[in-house]
Amino acid sequence: MNKEEFLNKLRANTTQQFDMPDMNINGIKYEDTIAQFISMTETSGGKVVNAKKDDNLNAIIREVYPDAKVIASNVSGIDASLNPDTVAEAQDLNGTDVGVVNGEVGVAENACVWVPQSMKEKSVCFISENLVIILHKSSIVDNMHDAYKAIHMTDYGFGCFISGPSKTADIEQSLVMGAQAARSVTIILID
Amino acid sequence: MSTIHSKNAEIFNKDRAKTTWHDQTFWALREKHDNMAEQLPEWEELRSHASDIKCHTITHLADYLEKFSANLESRGVIVHWAADASEFNETVLDILKSHNVSKMVKSKSMLTEECEMNPYLEKHGIDVVETDLGERILQLLNQKPSHIVVPASHLKREEVGRVFEQKGISKEIGNYDPTYLTRCARYSLRKEFMDAGAGMTGCNFGVADTGDIVVCTNEGNADMSTSMPKLHIVAMGIEKLVPDYDSLAVFLRLLCRCGTGQPTTAFTSHFRQARPGAEMHVVLVDNGRSDIIADKEHWQTLKCIRCGACMNTCPVYRRSGGYSYTYFIPGPIGVNLGMLHDPQKHSENVSACSLCLSCDNVCPAEVAPGSQIYLWRQSLEALGKANKMKKIMSVGMSVLFNNPALYNTALKFAPLANIVPESITNIGHLNPWGVGHGNPEFAKKSFRRLWREGLK
Repeated sequence: MNKEEFLNKLRANTTQQFDMPDMNINGIKYEDTIAQFISMTETSGGKVVNAKKDDNLNAIIREVYPDAKVIASNVSGIDASLNPDTVAEAQDLNGTDVGVVNGEVGVAENACVWVPQSMKEKSVCFISENLVIILHKSSIVDNMHDAYKAIHMTDYGFGCFISGPSKTADIEQSLVMGAQAARSVTIILID
Repeated sequence: MSTIHSKNAEIFNKDRAKTTWHDQTFWALREKHDNMAEQLPEWEELRSHASDIKCHTITHLADYLEKFSANLESRGVIVHWAADASEFNETVLDILKSHNVSKMVKSKSMLTEECEMNPYLEKHGIDVVETDLGERILQLLNQKPSHIVVPASHLKREEVGRVFEQKGISKEIGNYDPTYLTRCARYSLRKEFMDAGAGMTGCNFGVADTGDIVVCTNEGNADMSTSMPKLHIVAMGIEKLVPDYDSLAVFLRLLCRCGTGQPTTAFTSHFRQARPGAEMHVVLVDNGRSDIIADKEHWQTLKCIRCGACMNTCPVYRRSGGYSYTYFIPGPIGVNLGMLHDPQKHSENVSACSLCLSCDNVCPAEVAPGSQIYLWRQSLEALGKANKMKKIMSVGMSVLFNNPALYNTALKFAPLANIVPESITNIGHLNPWGVGHGNPEFAKKSFRRLWREGLK
């Protein structure tokens, strides 16, 4: 069907119209936003490691994932054997033990971290067995209303809120971490 | 007298242990919903906003669709307009054929169930692989979803384990541990993601203002489905549109809290364009939705965000299971959607409701599915689907209740019914109301008589 016919039928069948409500919603605010974010991350199956501005992130990643052989990242300063910007195909990142990416905004109410695509192959965010997200404490907001005012989309036109590891409860409602994407998520929270 | 639903429910209830387990599984989800709602003082404010935003968007849908499609097209996304299920299926097949795709991985989409896309594509030689674990299990068992959010919740781990063994997905015979089985599926699906020629996702929300396709999953399977293949096809019902990010925040805060009792899904992905070197198509589907807009009594059904809360709370769904209904979407919202789709075919579902209206009270978009089922029942007569026995009884009751003298006489002799043995009133299950119920005992003196005597 062409677009005009499609839309004309919709217009013809619409006999009443409603206005948008005012959007001043009293979204929840937490006394300690950072503490709420950390607690929700742990509830969602994620791990939080606090770090100072000048800490050695590579050492922190080694400590959390001592057995990791393949690390994939395009974040400057991160020791990685694969770079999602330079791999020929997205599939080449399969077998990554730890993917390391930057998060832009953290959300206290549900542990979401906005990860905008800042690499050629976004598969690094999902295909890695374990995912490390680097996030600054100052970028944590209380709720999703605040989050949507704070996030940005890169020119790649993709971004994802990630809250803890991939999970499923499809077999008898028993929760299993690591369905199709990362089996563990660690947030490195920088002061 | 018995409806298809009640006959199916009777079969479902034969395994009492499994019925009890099913009931408890979904009641647990309802309790998780309550727990989530109690943690947010603004909960009711969110619900009323969700309803108002949807009312506005649905009644300005053509304008928002124009804005949405223009945004997508400005970034090279190809937008298609499908009037019905067959146009949708043909469009998807054309896209796949023009890219020489023989295998497509897909994440969960109730729209593709509605259009019966998988069998159509398979008939034309496309290997369609479901990647949500629950959907994958059902695909291997050749079953349909029994719930829109947790589609395989009616199955026990042994049933899953056995089909995994048969298909060679699980190697350890007799190991039915959910963690083990999930790992096996992960390993098996990983191979599918690697060499599929296309990835399909549904769409939980389309954002008119930005042209974002927003997809929510816990498994990350929508992202796996779209990160490797060079072709991404989105199947989207037109009612999924919201105006902007501020509106989107309201729905995302409600969706998962209502559905599975989590504060969010693990992944909330925003697709605005194809990834480098790839192509992205969005197929916008009407398939009856524009007719629903014109239905003055039931147009608000389009506000539904498919969270599943109405099923989880429904006493009839919990005790009769998803397969007892004739429409592919079960529970309170499914009863309504079935009637909107084909009232002749699905009218028997309207009796699968106790009118407790628990669904009205949990629905995040205030669709009021239970109240709408009440309205559908009023239309059965016009549809020629009213139950004959109930009609006769209604006439009888009308005569009785409109005639005080007759009513009083009947009441005086009612206690005589107490001495009629139940084997007579419930003979051969001729009286459907006798199943599972004893006869009520009439008091020797009516309230009316007691009242009068007390006044003297």
